[in-house]
Amino acid sequence: MLEPLERLDDLGSEMARAARDAGVRLIWRNQLRTSKRSVVRQGKIEGNAASTLSGHGVQVVTADGRVALASRDDFEPDEARKLLQRVIATATGAERLGLQAADAAALEPLTGREIPVDPAAFDAVDLPRIGARLQELEKEIAGRVPGPTLSVSFRSELDAWRVFRDDGTDVFFAMPRCVLGMRATGSGDAGRHGVSATLFSPNPDMPFDDGQVELFLRRATQAARLATVLPDAPNHAAGSFPLVIDYALAKGLAHEAFGHASEADGFRSSILAENGKFKVGEQVGPENISIVDEPVDGDHAWQPFSANGVRRERTEIVRGGRLLDGLSDPWSAQAGGVRLTGAGRAETFRSAPQPRMTNIRIESSEPLAAPGAFEDYGPEEVRELLATSGVFKRHPKVVYLSGYTGGQVNTAGGDFVFHCKAIYDLDEKGVSLYKPAIFSGSMFGALQSVREAYGPLLLDAIGYCGKWGQQVPSSGGSHYFLVLEPHESVGLGGRE
Amino acid sequence: MKLEPVLEAIPQVRAEGQTVVTWQVHGTESRRLSLGIKDREAGNAHAPLSLAEASSARYLLVWSDGKICRGTLERHQDPRAAFEEARATAYDDPDAAHVLGPDAFADVLLWDDSTAAIAGGDTALIADRLAHVRELIAAAGAKTWSGSFSAGASDSRLVTSNGLDTTSRGTSFGWFVNVDGEAGDGFGARRPESDEDFRARLAQLMETAANLATDTPPIEAGTHRVLLHPRVVESYMLSTLMQNIDGSAVAHQESAFNRDDFGSDAPKLRHDIGLSIDPLQPYKAGSYRFTGYGLPAAPCTFVENGRLVQPILDIKYGRRLGLKPTPVPFGPDAASFGTPDRMAYEDALKQTDVMVLSVLGVHTQDRISGDFSLSAPLALAIRQGHAAGRLRGTISGNAWETLNSPELTFVDVPHEVTPGMLFPCRFDAR
Repeated sequence: MLEPLERLDDLGSEMARAARDAGVRLIWRNQLRTSKRSVVRQGKIEGNAASTLSGHGVQVVTADGRVALASRDDFEPDEARKLLQRVIATATGAERLGLQAADAAALEPLTGREIPVDPAAFDAVDLPRIGARLQELEKEIAGRVPGPTLSVSFRSELDAWRVFRDDGTDVFFAMPRCVLGMRATGSGDAGRHGVSATLFSPNPDMPFDDGQVELFLRRATQAARLATVLPDAPNHAAGSFPLVIDYALAKGLAHEAFGHASEADGFRSSILAENGKFKVGEQVGPENISIVDEPVDGDHAWQPFSANGVRRERTEIVRGGRLLDGLSDPWSAQAGGVRLTGAGRAETFRSAPQPRMTNIRIESSEPLAAPGAFEDYGPEEVRELLATSGVFKRHPKVVYLSGYTGGQVNTAGGDFVFHCKAIYDLDEKGVSLYKPAIFSGSMFGALQSVREAYGPLLLDAIGYCGKWGQQVPSSGGSHYFLVLEPHESVGLGGRE
Repeated sequence: MKLEPVLEAIPQVRAEGQTVVTWQVHGTESRRLSLGIKDREAGNAHAPLSLAEASSARYLLVWSDGKICRGTLERHQDPRAAFEEARATAYDDPDAAHVLGPDAFADVLLWDDSTAAIAGGDTALIADRLAHVRELIAAAGAKTWSGSFSAGASDSRLVTSNGLDTTSRGTSFGWFVNVDGEAGDGFGARRPESDEDFRARLAQLMETAANLATDTPPIEAGTHRVLLHPRVVESYMLSTLMQNIDGSAVAHQESAFNRDDFGSDAPKLRHDIGLSIDPLQPYKAGSYRFTGYGLPAAPCTFVENGRLVQPILDIKYGRRLGLKPTPVPFGPDAASFGTPDRMAYEDALKQTDVMVLSVLGVHTQDRISGDFSLSAPLALAIRQGHAAGRLRGTISGNAWETLNSPELTFVDVPHEVTPGMLFPCRFDAR
């Protein structure tokens, strides 16, 4: 499966040599991504697809620092040689554009290979068999929760990269990603509402793994039940409230509110930087709170090397409430006043890598106990958790935001937003369900508000991040639940 | 992608004892040039001057046992081997096992030689426009700006086993400028707009950025007459409506509307609201010669006088819903949305107290229920018809209630095809 990349040894050396002869620095990215997908709706296979994305991107930096990138969707040696010469000529000839001279950190040559799965297992994914399995799963969910319209899907993907540089660097890595997904659309007197559930695994056999399937069915069943009651649920009032958020929403908070503002390519306008430099040491949260980003083995966003051929480092963005480390690449580390962490990621060989997150989490140094699995906690169990730890003595009513459906941030102003799947009012008496609403505000207000954390770390909240038009997998989490004190700069949107 | 080798291979394809009896192949070759600007730095390592070459073919194969395969053929793949390998993904989908035959295709103006030259590497026009942006940014004293310029050119050919064989050539040009990481605007079409239009749009953006530079005290939380800028209308209201009239969503009951709502006399939106497209308009980004399955471009009405006329349909979902396939929306500049009469912009400003310029979180909304709750970090307080400083807040409501509200007014906004929308909406300032 990965043979086209395996065969590049000689051409990689030749491209590096040609770049050195021409007096330019080279990063040559080769990518081969194979994907398979099946979708079942209402008992029928609505789509099976197998696709491949492959090609290479030639990025050069001329002697006077001009950067240019050219890409082509094959691995033909002659075409690659021609593309290198063309991109050198383009960078050299673009005087009128006033291109910015690049000032990259000095890099050590690196060779490495990380392919954690047998690529043949992805080749062997049998879509008709998968489709039949999805039909079984859809039937199972429909049996547990009659009513909503269901869509069940599976996607397997092996995203392999081989990156060469003119300094002899040659790193080869493959990122396995498989996702079981379900979307339920419920109908009520007041209209329809959709709710989704997903489960990630690096294992393409996950639809046939009993443990994985059981966990998926638990999540899918909860989502389907929610879809049946949300259409007729009332809207919640807008305002600032004491909140409890689950680990997926905490991932959203870490990702949207702090992760993006810590990406060093944006330090000239980020609210976490001043005069282009990261505000290392600035207090941004409580002393028991840290925010960490790192590649996690077996995770949706795992990436061992950057798209610039640099090993990805663990990054403590916030340690003990203070800013510590930025997410950087060779082009932004020095200028941003942070160490090189190898955070450059690209969606495809056609894209210029940007400093990006992988798996980001909010950690508390003093978490309270929350026994059992996260899926054991419905709103009633969360209410009991808060009652036991005395939160209701401080706040008679707490608003529980459950499930993450995505978010966005403006790093210049520090405004973030994310959306949940459902809202529950929790108090000593019981639980009331409301339709979801947006949670938005100032990143500083949100992090400063974090008070209690419950349960162990759970880091499997997955998604895609769309910075600068490039979609890359993201993930993360936190402890099962975090309690946030009300803060005037952070609020819940609502219609009342 | 040159299709001759592909067309020669199809009759040779054999897999699991089956042959290909019906097929469609849509090949495309393209090249593109783009330049990014990040925080004043043009073409830095994160937004470099980029050249891209691409060639591929999308295909639909119907096998002799009725099963189908869909996929994309890459430049380097052997067509016969790829098709035979694709047999392993074949599945039953009788509604999708059909292709179109010959038809009459209009000559739509989609190609511009000067744009094709930019896509091939001629950066003179981009350099001129970049220089003008830099001048305005310097004059305004803005701290920073980011943006992009791009141009593309593509040739495509679509062939089916039913005798359809047609081609299309098109170019594209676009730019986007964002000032101080906040206010932004841009343009996209099949060719660059005139220098005069470029300068006018940029001047308007700089004025907006200047208006946003001054904060104003938050207005009282509650229902206000809010004016949504056309960009917000496109990104949320129009896209929500289009997602809900998509044939796939309707067929799978993943829409706010049912099959029976289409063609019914009962309006689902306010009685004077319409939505139509005209993809034959010259040089529009949303114009084209034929759809991805070979239906000729033509004007098409989806909503008329509040009634749902027809969903957006491809061949598969047309058959599934018992309706004919339709042309598809490809970009908002070829769409007509709203009411025939629009309020003048100056008049609308006198009737609003908040103008929302952009929203965050559109992709997180549940599009079926129509409930929206969006962060509006870029909003302007409007007093006596004039901008009176920046507001930050959230807007909340329901798209379907809004599109049925007697208090909704569509507004003609200068330089924009899509209208603004003025209506009572909850705004919670921060």
